[in-house]
Amino acid sequence: MWYNSGVDLLTTSVATVESDSEPYTLVELTGEADVTNCDALRDVLDGEVAKQPPMLILDLGGLRFMDSSALHVILRANRVMDRQGGVLALASPREPVAKMLRLTAADQLIPVYASVADATAG
Amino acid sequence: MAEAAQSPATVGAFRHVGFFYRTPAEYADTVAGFLGAGLAADEPAFAAVPPGKISLIADALGADARHVEFADMTEIGRNPAWIIPRVEAFADRHPGRRVRYVGEPVWAARPPAELREATRHEALVNLAFAGADAEILCPYDVAALGPAVLADARRTHPLLLSDGRPGTSRDYAVPFHLPSSCSRPLPAPPYIAMSYTYRTDLSRVRALVLKHAKEAGLPDARANDLVLAVSEAAANTLRHTRSSGTLTIWQDPNEIICEIHDEGVITDPLAGRRRPPPDALGGHGLWLVHQVCDLVELRSDSSGTTIRMHMWIPRPRSAG
Repeated sequence: MWYNSGVDLLTTSVATVESDSEPYTLVELTGEADVTNCDALRDVLDGEVAKQPPMLILDLGGLRFMDSSALHVILRANRVMDRQGGVLALASPREPVAKMLRLTAADQLIPVYASVADATAG
Repeated sequence: MAEAAQSPATVGAFRHVGFFYRTPAEYADTVAGFLGAGLAADEPAFAAVPPGKISLIADALGADARHVEFADMTEIGRNPAWIIPRVEAFADRHPGRRVRYVGEPVWAARPPAELREATRHEALVNLAFAGADAEILCPYDVAALGPAVLADARRTHPLLLSDGRPGTSRDYAVPFHLPSSCSRPLPAPPYIAMSYTYRTDLSRVRALVLKHAKEAGLPDARANDLVLAVSEAAANTLRHTRSSGTLTIWQDPNEIICEIHDEGVITDPLAGRRRPPPDALGGHGLWLVHQVCDLVELRSDSSGTTIRMHMWIPRPRSAG
């Protein structure tokens, strides 16, 4: 879309982690996620979801802001993960993002953990 | 009475009654009677009224009061857009049962912008609960409220209870439209207001709002709430129009106000006033705008949309 120009506001880094229990994919989001860069976020998440990991953790610790467009990208990824029998989890949201997850009740669909370590511990 | 049978007041099971009262005794008798009749019929009952009225009703109900859910309307209806989802949540906790609700969102001390939105809320109740199995009683203090406010109450309630006499309101608008007091264009912002035209630079919009919110004295959490609300409103400009939008910010001693104006058109008057299903992939933007602000004024017509978001500035506690 023409307005998807704010890509530099948001950086994503992806790692596949071979843990003792089960391998998981960790996507770290840093910056501000909004309508201007949600297509880029969707591309990253779609790519990782397509690899069918048992667990996909989004580390939101570096995210200063998230709007409902970014949330919808995450909800969409969660649906696909569900269908594939995998789990999507959110880790370490700062308070503004955590509040937004509560107000939309997204935190009742997607597990939210205080840290990545908590998320891997289930 | 063919005419009465066709009036909106009797279509379906939904009843929305404006109760014009003159004395505390009349208030207590009528409201307690209304709630008590519901309890006797095993209907869950909810009352959201200003705090001083809760004890008045509870005393009149006696032991039955413990079966009524009470809420302080100055809290749950501080932003009148919070009321409909709150009542829907109450009804959802009692599926399949007729519910009774007493709601008093209009009181004399409310500032004009709040009264406009409380009137808008009263009108929207008729849309939100059309056909619902519910009975709603809305008390209006005839002695304290101005004639224009009472005239609007006659326009927003299909049924009236005045001087102890029930009847239909001849002024109730059919088909639905909003009273002009709460649908005409908003008063212009003050000339000293700051304005910024944005296209895709929402990060800049958020930074401006955060700066002004902090300078106005909002605590961090409220400043972040305002940033979220304004960003969601501005995101709608990008989602739904091909043109720029305008952010305007101003404040008075009581509140900071941010306004987003663009060429978009919002046709659903209930937009943002009903909780979207959690897995919905849309509709969360205006929901968040309404949820986090102390007051939201939304006006939309074919020429565009204005969303005015108010946040109260906490006062330092005065000594003594």
